[in-house]
Amino acid sequence: MTETQRVTSAAETHTDRAAVRTDEVWKVFLQGPEEVQAVRGVTLAIERGEFVAMAGPSGSGKTTLLNLIGGLTRPSRGHAWVAGHDVAGMSGRDLAHMRLQQVGFVFQAYNLLPVLTAFENAELPLLMLGVEEAERRKRVHELFERTGLTGLEDRRPGKLSGGQQQRVAIIRAVASRPALVLADEPTANLDSATSASLLDMMEELNRETYTTFVFATHDPQVMERARRLIRLVDGQVDSDESQQRGARRATDGSPIEPEAAPEIDR
Amino acid sequence: MERSRLMMTLAFRNLRRQARRSLLTAAAMVIGGGLLIFSVSLGDGTHEDWIESGVRMGSGHIAIQAPKYAVSRKIEDRLGAASLRAVHEGTRSPGVAESVLEVVPRLTTGGLASSPTGARPVEVVGADPVAEARFSTLDERAVEGRYLEPDDRLAAYIGAELAEGLELRLGSRMVLTAQDAEGEISGQLVRVVGIFGTGIPEVDQRIVHIPLQTAGAWLGAEGAVTTVAVLVDKSRAVRRTARLLEDELAAPIAAGDLAVLTWQEAMPELDAVVKVDDLGNYMFQGITFGIIALAIVNTILMSVLYRHREFGVLQALGFTPGQTGTLVMAEGVVLTVLSGLLGIGLGLFVTWFFWRDGLDISFTWQEDWTFSGVVLDPVIVPLFRAARVIQGLLFILFVGTVASLYPAYRATRIDVAEAMKFER
Repeated sequence: MTETQRVTSAAETHTDRAAVRTDEVWKVFLQGPEEVQAVRGVTLAIERGEFVAMAGPSGSGKTTLLNLIGGLTRPSRGHAWVAGHDVAGMSGRDLAHMRLQQVGFVFQAYNLLPVLTAFENAELPLLMLGVEEAERRKRVHELFERTGLTGLEDRRPGKLSGGQQQRVAIIRAVASRPALVLADEPTANLDSATSASLLDMMEELNRETYTTFVFATHDPQVMERARRLIRLVDGQVDSDESQQRGARRATDGSPIEPEAAPEIDR
Repeated sequence: MERSRLMMTLAFRNLRRQARRSLLTAAAMVIGGGLLIFSVSLGDGTHEDWIESGVRMGSGHIAIQAPKYAVSRKIEDRLGAASLRAVHEGTRSPGVAESVLEVVPRLTTGGLASSPTGARPVEVVGADPVAEARFSTLDERAVEGRYLEPDDRLAAYIGAELAEGLELRLGSRMVLTAQDAEGEISGQLVRVVGIFGTGIPEVDQRIVHIPLQTAGAWLGAEGAVTTVAVLVDKSRAVRRTARLLEDELAAPIAAGDLAVLTWQEAMPELDAVVKVDDLGNYMFQGITFGIIALAIVNTILMSVLYRHREFGVLQALGFTPGQTGTLVMAEGVVLTVLSGLLGIGLGLFVTWFFWRDGLDISFTWQEDWTFSGVVLDPVIVPLFRAARVIQGLLFILFVGTVASLYPAYRATRIDVAEAMKFER
């Protein structure tokens, strides 16, 4: 059994409905002689299909908590489960397989590979997953069409605008149909119109594919759109509220209530 | 397969992305690869020349002697008529004959050469004039007179320094004295028909050639020889031909009648000189490629540090640390192999260029250079060998792989979360 298969089967046998759970999770860094407690005993659960924003001032621990949830870093104490996998006990190799199969990332600086074209960047996780070429092309072309990027497939990131690059990054994050998409300040470098259109796109994907979206953000627009807002202060959860505002304020006016979870076809 | 293609695509494009840095490193590798092939070819050509000169002046690529002769150098340790017949049959056998160019019998003994002026210790070689002229280059070194001819009986061909020491000229008579097969001291009068000058003091002072039949009759060893010297078509065929000859001569070897020696065994000094020179060449190449390896380490490591964030992104997307390291390795190996192949091509071109007329380095010499009975030819002709090209390519591949190991290791150790904060 390969590592990929091993991680997949572990996920499939887990009965937890939560996309993400943390239990008294801490992250402590050493900054010179000083100990910095970036995340302090956070316990939370995010169900599949949720559209969640984590907000808070700089240094509140948003990005660190997002990294813990995405398995980019291991907790100093406590546990974090992603799709049933406890990231605290996983090797670097297993974490990589888990990220490949379960998590999509969207970054503030887009982080597309400059040597690959927009299409190649978008299909990268599919290629790593071993998805057949015909299927890869179908999925990526569909997403390019939906996001208005058709015709830009062969452009390198340097030849795309910020908004176009972030669209490609979102396609890259969702093309493999992960259970969870983590977005760290995805709208920070974009104007409000571009941000709104990208948020529309993510809300639509959330509604249609039941993909869980978790944002770390300062952007009021993202906070308004989110159906759950977790406020962090000094590495701790200050408030955790479900809100209906997002549904009312969607730009196309459609309701954004999660539907029944569809079967995810990988 | 798809992943391997992705790795190669990323490797190629990343090298192109840092084009100037990649080209500078590649240029070092091209020059290094070219130098490697040319210097190895030149070294092989030089050694082939030394060996050729040494074996023609000495006991051939393969010497067949009585087992004790190599140490005793006495005529009592000679090959009798039966052994000689076996040797002749062995050298004509299939497998051996195809590599053998020439076979010469020699009856050699130590003795004294005397003239009215004085006496000098010499090595008397009873030689077959016709076969010896084809085998040795000594006949071409005549400065006065001529080499031995088939009808000669009491003729001697002597070195210039011996002639000077004993005040001998063409037509002068001298007496050779040596211990014969019965252990008695016996003398032979001969007349100088030729004087040679090789430039090698130990040869010009000591060697005296007389007809084989004269030597046999004088020393009471008619029909016997002390050495059968065999010349093969290329020095690389020596060990194989010697093994085949040993198989053919298994019976007399088992009976202790004869031994088959390669030139390395018969002339250990020449073998040592070739090995020392090879070692020097290898050290030079090792240092050159050590420097090139550092350039590769620098290029790839700089690339890894510059792309710290990018490797973080790849790992966030699901690349394992091992796959990230493999990507870096691929970049190093692709850079090395491509530039190494170009370098080998350059080396082959330079080798071919100098192979046509040879590389004349005589302008650096004050006088003839000799060692261990070998005259160095100032015109070096490089020797092309396919095995050396393969060795060169493997060596370059090895250097590229080793040089990429550390940068690859660094790439595997990236802290993904930290790398994402990295600003270029």
